[in-house]
This record gives sequence, C-alpha cells and structure tokens, in this order.
Amino acid sequence: MITILKNGIIIDPAHKKDGVVEDIYISNGKIIAKPSANEKISQVYDLAGKIIMAGAIDMHSHIGGGKVNIARMMLPEFRQYSEPEAHICTLNCSHHATPNTIDTGFRYIEMGYTAVFEPAILPINARQAHLEMADTPMIDKGGYAMLGNDDYFLRMLTAQKDQRAINDYVAWILHATQAIGIKVVNPGGISDFKFNKRKLNLDENHSHYQVTPRDILKSLSRAVRELGIAKPLHVHCNNLGVAGNFETTLSTMGASDGVPMHLTHIQFHSYGTEGDKKFSSAAAQIAEALNKNKHITADVGQILFGQTVTASGDSMMQHLNTKLASPKKSVIMDIECDSGCGVVPFKYRDQNYVNALQWAIGLELFLTVEDPWRIFLTTDHPNGAPFVCYPHLIRLLMDKTFRNEAFAKLNLDAQAMSNLSEIDREYSLYEIATMTRAGAAKLVGLNDRGHLGIGAAADITVYTDQPDREAMFSKPDYVFKDGSLVVKDGKVVKVTWGKTHTAKPAFDISIEQDLKKYFDKYHTIQLDNFKISDDELKSYSESPHEN
Amino acid sequence: MLINSLPTTFTCPACGLLCDDITPSHNSCSKSITFFGQALGDSKPKIKGKNASLTEAINAAACIIKKSQQVLFSGLSTDITGFKSLYSLAKKTNGSLQHINHVSMIRNLKVLQNSGWQTTTLGEVKNRADLLLCIGTDVVSHNPRFFERFIDIEGMFTGGNISKREVIYLGVENPSKGLLSLNCKKADLPEVLGVLHALILDKSLKIESVAGIKIEEILSLASKLRASKYAVLVWIANDMNFPHAELTIELITKIVATLNQTTRAAGLPLGGSDGDTSINNAHTWLTGLSLNNEIYTEHDALVWVNSFSPEKMPPKTNVPIIVFGNSNTQFAQTPDVFIPISTPGLDCAGTLFRVDGSVILPLKKIRDNSLPSLQHLIVLLSKVIGNEA
Repeated sequence: MITILKNGIIIDPAHKKDGVVEDIYISNGKIIAKPSANEKISQVYDLAGKIIMAGAIDMHSHIGGGKVNIARMMLPEFRQYSEPEAHICTLNCSHHATPNTIDTGFRYIEMGYTAVFEPAILPINARQAHLEMADTPMIDKGGYAMLGNDDYFLRMLTAQKDQRAINDYVAWILHATQAIGIKVVNPGGISDFKFNKRKLNLDENHSHYQVTPRDILKSLSRAVRELGIAKPLHVHCNNLGVAGNFETTLSTMGASDGVPMHLTHIQFHSYGTEGDKKFSSAAAQIAEALNKNKHITADVGQILFGQTVTASGDSMMQHLNTKLASPKKSVIMDIECDSGCGVVPFKYRDQNYVNALQWAIGLELFLTVEDPWRIFLTTDHPNGAPFVCYPHLIRLLMDKTFRNEAFAKLNLDAQAMSNLSEIDREYSLYEIATMTRAGAAKLVGLNDRGHLGIGAAADITVYTDQPDREAMFSKPDYVFKDGSLVVKDGKVVKVTWGKTHTAKPAFDISIEQDLKKYFDKYHTIQLDNFKISDDELKSYSESPHEN
Repeated sequence: MLINSLPTTFTCPACGLLCDDITPSHNSCSKSITFFGQALGDSKPKIKGKNASLTEAINAAACIIKKSQQVLFSGLSTDITGFKSLYSLAKKTNGSLQHINHVSMIRNLKVLQNSGWQTTTLGEVKNRADLLLCIGTDVVSHNPRFFERFIDIEGMFTGGNISKREVIYLGVENPSKGLLSLNCKKADLPEVLGVLHALILDKSLKIESVAGIKIEEILSLASKLRASKYAVLVWIANDMNFPHAELTIELITKIVATLNQTTRAAGLPLGGSDGDTSINNAHTWLTGLSLNNEIYTEHDALVWVNSFSPEKMPPKTNVPIIVFGNSNTQFAQTPDVFIPISTPGLDCAGTLFRVDGSVILPLKKIRDNSLPSLQHLIVLLSKVIGNEA
C-alpha cells in the first residue's frame, strides 16, 4: 500500500526546503523514498498548488491531568460560551478553554496538529494525566514531570547529595511517571508557599530547606543534560506575573551555567515597572537576552482576549491571583509533598491596560526574537487563551496590517507603552513551520516527527495557500496521521488514538532503597504504586474508548 | 479462591482513603475486613429471580434497554474502566447517569462551582498539619484509619512529638478521640461557623454564647486557628445532612481562605466510597462537565451497578430493573435481570481516585473466579443492542 502526495509545495525547515514542489511517498505509516516503477501505488492525491507541512507539534499545552479537570468541574458555565469557528461536534461539545478530552483531540487534529505535550504532570498525579491523555483521540501525547518542589528532591539538595544521585532520582521519576521531560515550576516556591512564604526570588533561600531557586535550576538542568534527555529542563520562572519580573527572568537565563534550559510562557515573565501604572513591557530586554543566550529556548504563552481559565502548578502565585478571578471562584491546592496547583478563571479584556499590554508584549517577543528555532508558538493553553485560537495568532504574526488594526483598538495607555506598531516583521510560512514543526520536534526530541524526510512518521498537513492565514490554518484540506487520512476539509474522517512518547534514560535502580524508606516513612502510598509500568500505560489505551 | 501469586500488598476500595498497605494478614479496619472477607456469592445470572445463562440474561437486559426511552444508569459503584464502559452505553442509549452518593457529591460540587476552595491532600496532612478541626464529623465512621495513618504519626514537619498536633471537634457528638470538643447540633453549625469566621476577622460581637457554646470557647478556637502554621479543616459532605448544607461547607472554605491571608490553612473534604471521586473525574474529562448537575426523576428503566457494595440496593421503583452487581447482593425487590460481576480490587484489577482527588491507585486482582467484568459485560450487551437495532 503506497500513497503518493503529488505536486505539493513542500515547506520542511528540517531539510531546508522552502516551497519546492516534490512528491511524497507513504507506506506503512512512514514517508519512504520514491519506490521503483513496478511497485503498486494504491492512492494518489494531486496536491498541485497546496502547501504541505509536517503535522504541527504543540510543545506546551495543558491537555490533561488534575488541574485541567478541576477547571472543567468548577466551570460548568463555560459550556455556554461560544467560539466563532464551526467544527464538527461531539456530545456536550465545548469550544472553549476546557474542552473534554475527545474535543481536545478533534480540535487539535482539525488544525493540523498531530502531537501535543502536557507540560505539568505532578508525579503523584501522573496516572490521571495518562488516563486523560489515553482518552484524547487523534494526536500523539507526552508530558513533562514536575520536580523541584517535591520534598524528596529538596532534602537531597539540602543534604548536598552528589549529582549522580540526583540524576538517578530524575531518571527514576521519568520512568515512574512515563514522562518525556522534566519541568520545574516556580523553583522552590510551591514548597515554600506551604511554609507561608508568598514570594521567592532566584537567590533567596527557601525558608525551610536553605537552598535557592538557582541551586534547584542548576541541579535539575544538569541532571537532564547528563542523563542525555533531548528535552531541556522546562522552566516556569519565579515571580510569574509580577511587575518587574523581567530581571528574575534575565538572571534565570544565567542560572544553569550555559546548560540548555527552556523558559516557558515567557510573556508572563517579561514585565517591567515603568510608566504611571508601574507596569511596562520588558520584551526588548528579554528578546535581546534570548538572542544572545543560545542555550536558552522559550515559548511565548501569548494572551488573546476573552474568557479563559488559568491552571498552573504555581500555587504561590495563583493564590495572589485569586482576587482577580473572573468569574469569582478559584481552587488552590497543596499536593502530597510533591507540588501544588492553582486554578483561577480569568477574562482578558482589550480595554484593560495590563491585559492589552500583555497582548502586545507577547507579540513583541515573537517579532523581535530572531531565531524561530528557539521560540515556540503557544498560548500556554488555557492560561493565555484556548489553543483553538492558534490560527488567529498565526495571522497576527504573518500579517502586519491585521496586527496593527488589532493594536489600534487596544486600551490607549497600553498602546502608548508598546512599540509593536513600529515592528515591520511578518513571519513567513517557513518560519511558522520552523516554530510549530521542526523546532518543536527537535526541542522535545522527536526524531521522526516535525519533518518530511524519508523515514519520518507520515504526520502531514496539507493547506490551501490563502492570504487570510487565520482561515488557512483553521482548516487544512487534509491531515494524515501515521499515514492515514484522518481529516478532510477541516473535518475528522477517521478516528485514531495516537501514541504516548516517553524518555527512559538508564539509571541505578539502587536509588529505590532510599526511596522506599522515604515512602514508608512520609508518603501515603506504597512505592510500587507510585510507578506506572509500561503494561499499565498500555492498558489505558486498550480500555474502551469514546468517540 | 485466592490466586497463586498473591501481591505482597493490595489496595482497599472500601472507603475513600484507598489504603494500599493491605496484606492477607493485615486488613486493619472493620470496613476492610468486611470487604476482603466477603465470600463469593452465587455467580449465576438471573432473570426475574430464576437462573439463566449469561447469554439469556444479556438478551433480556438488552430487550429492556431497547424498549426504554430513558434509562437511568445508577449506583455506578465501579472503577474508572467500568465507568467508561457504562458511560459509553449510556451515551449510545440516550441514558442518564447518577452515582449512589449523588446527594453528598452535589453538596461539595455546589461549593466548588460557586466559590471554589483551598484544599490539601492526605500526604500534606500527615507531614504538615499542626491543628485538625473536624467539623460535623468524627471522620472515623467513614474513614476508619484516618487518624492512625495521618494524624497519630510523626510527620516530616511536625517535630518528633506527635502530641503536638491538636485535634478539635466542632459539632460532633461523642467523638472517638478524647480531645477538645465544642458541642453543638449539626443544624447549628452555620451559626457557630459564622461567629468563628467573624472572630477570626477580629470583629467584636456582643453575644455571650452561640448554640450553647460560650463565646470564649469560640474565641479560643479562632486564636488557635490563627496561630496554627498549617490548620486543616475537615468535613464530610455525607455527614452534613441538613438543608442547605452547601452553605455551611462554603463557610468552612471561606474560613480557610481568610486564614490563608496571614498563615497557612487548608480544607479537606473526606468520606467518599463506591468510586464516587473516580466516576466524577472520569465523567468530567469525558464530557467536560462534572457528574450530577441534574437530578433525573423521569426514567422508564433502571440499571443498577454496585460492584463494591453488595448491601447497597436499588431504590424501590415500578420501572424494570437491571442489576450488574456484586455477587452477594440480597434483594428486597427481585430485579428483572441480575448479572453478577467482578469487583475491582478483589476479582479483577482496576483503578480508583483517592478521596483527596490527586492520588490515583491501582487495584489488584486477589482471587480467581469466573465473574465477568463490567466492561466485558457491556461489550457483550452493546453487541446485542447494536445487532437488534
């Protein structure tokens, strides 16, 4: 069974192909070399004039696990909010910030996304994250396990355990939680909030453990590198959302001594204190530092206007945000000597000074960071905006006129504090493909995704080249997942379930001796029950599915 | 019959705590002993009380479901996989879903959806709590090992001296632990909690007592809560059995939020069983909405599932009843169809959420028998319903 995609215009930054017309051959779910003349071709798609890219990869989107489900539970009113775009719908379909798992998979694939990574798996809650992801159809999944606020790690760091022991623990967590990367959220801060601390700076000691966030970042980034995991340490910096936090962000870039780190939703960490309102854009300083520090990557976490919900492991900062909740309700949790969470609904308004400037700051960052291999397109779904807004965001990046028209409608004081309208850059299709395909795959370590080379998994998206980029990216003509046609004219035509990507570095299993003692004394479950085995993970995807 | 390679420890689904340190010689609480001690009942399916083959029983159930316009799938005492099967069948047949604990579940859900809350989990309680306030519940009637496992034990941050932790009861008759207790009727809890909240906020009140409790005692409690480093306020929705109980629960969560302005505190809803937390979570991710937003009164057939609890019987009703249940179920009213199914954690593996919502544990198979799992049964049933449709 060989399928040919004929005459399409290929945009494949991994192979430096920018608009070449080539045929793609697919067999057994993979892209293959041109077969010999006597091999049977079973299907031909003539895609003359169509744009072909690999399936898009979202490297940071909260699609499963405890806090998203709390948001769903807390916010039944979200059912009433409507989205402008028409999609095919399932029962209780929810075109909003907290779609169910079925809609999550459908909405993503309809936009041409074929893999999505949940960035905040609490190790103790990993089973829930995987249960939800197993019920998310169409796309590949994976997740980053959160460390750096768990008491076991903080005790190790305080006791100055050697790096090898820390590496073993980090590897053990990757195995136990079936994750592909490691994340740290507000390093030390979630833990210190449990000791009644309300703010923790990069070089400030944790009030109980006497280690600093910088120590935590240094140790974890090194562990990730020494274990040989592709995905650099995923860092949600201290002081999220605080005016003046750009200095923390700049210092954080230096905290790993040149070891790669990824700073996530950096828009929320690029705020200055200038102006009458003591809240300003520090995008210029952050972009300059990003351009200089080649070991740092970042995703933006763009905000877009409308109702959403913020769901974060950062209980310390989310507790401060509870007073801004809209509607007025929120959940804050301390969780199992492991982490915490904060779920706060929020409505971003274009006439609100701070919100309008947040919008501009995100776009300033996108447009002034030079290397599209090191900056990624996210809204930190659902925190900045629901992921269904990506096509709109792509148009803002690619269409200066459209962007400036939107800018001109913002709060006037915010307009006065942003240089956005002076930035001429418009992203090319090649740059969009870099950011959403090749770069994201490289970052996460998916060698066979995000490109169209021979041997790649045939996750392929076909678009009609339209001047309205929002329309173009909202509704691909075709999406192929592992070689199967799954979307036609923006609608799902075949339901598949994708796979879960993990990283399993080797480690010394004798670390379990100390872990077992710790579990028996302080934990509330058995060590063996903390671990998700390969068989257990497999059983989730084999259990009955809905569609 | 126990299986040959019995796991060293297994998880008990008899209450929301999901103790996973159970061994054949250590069942450790009355609920656990009852659960693991249950004999295998009559495993033959029955149609109107008479023995039938599995195929006959499935056909009879399919016939009832197909004739019905609105099936109520109720009880829902099962694990995540079992629930997902039931959900799928309910969707296919335009049925509704209602858990056996729906009344108490709604009490908590109303608070979550109205104001949200600030809560903690059992591991934080064990290692951090220095003051435990049990409101309207003795806890142990629902969660027998709560104190043994999480309070009467040394925690990471509670110092070596376990007696440093203070346990105070409010509105509980004859609490199991002989510690400080402020007695009032449960129905008076809203008033007492309102006064407590006012005193925590430093408001001066010109009253001498409330609901029979001297104001000095409540003032002393307010001071203790404010001075505590990590106070945990426990309630059990099932024990809040009075009108508008959700307002009382919301008052507890408001007290926690106020305390969190200056110190640390957290709420802890306990109780839970028959897979309620699990079913609500799975329903939420599958549909985007929590379970039990509506009360279903109109239905023309009832499907009852009681995997974990043979003593929990379907409500009296005039509509046809199908039971997919624990093999030990003794009926007051003979159901139209009864198919005994395996119990997760006993006859088959499974997965459940603990009552605090963040911890999910595997259940193990510990005895061998031929009972079908709920999911297997529903696959067979769906085939019959599909074929005849």
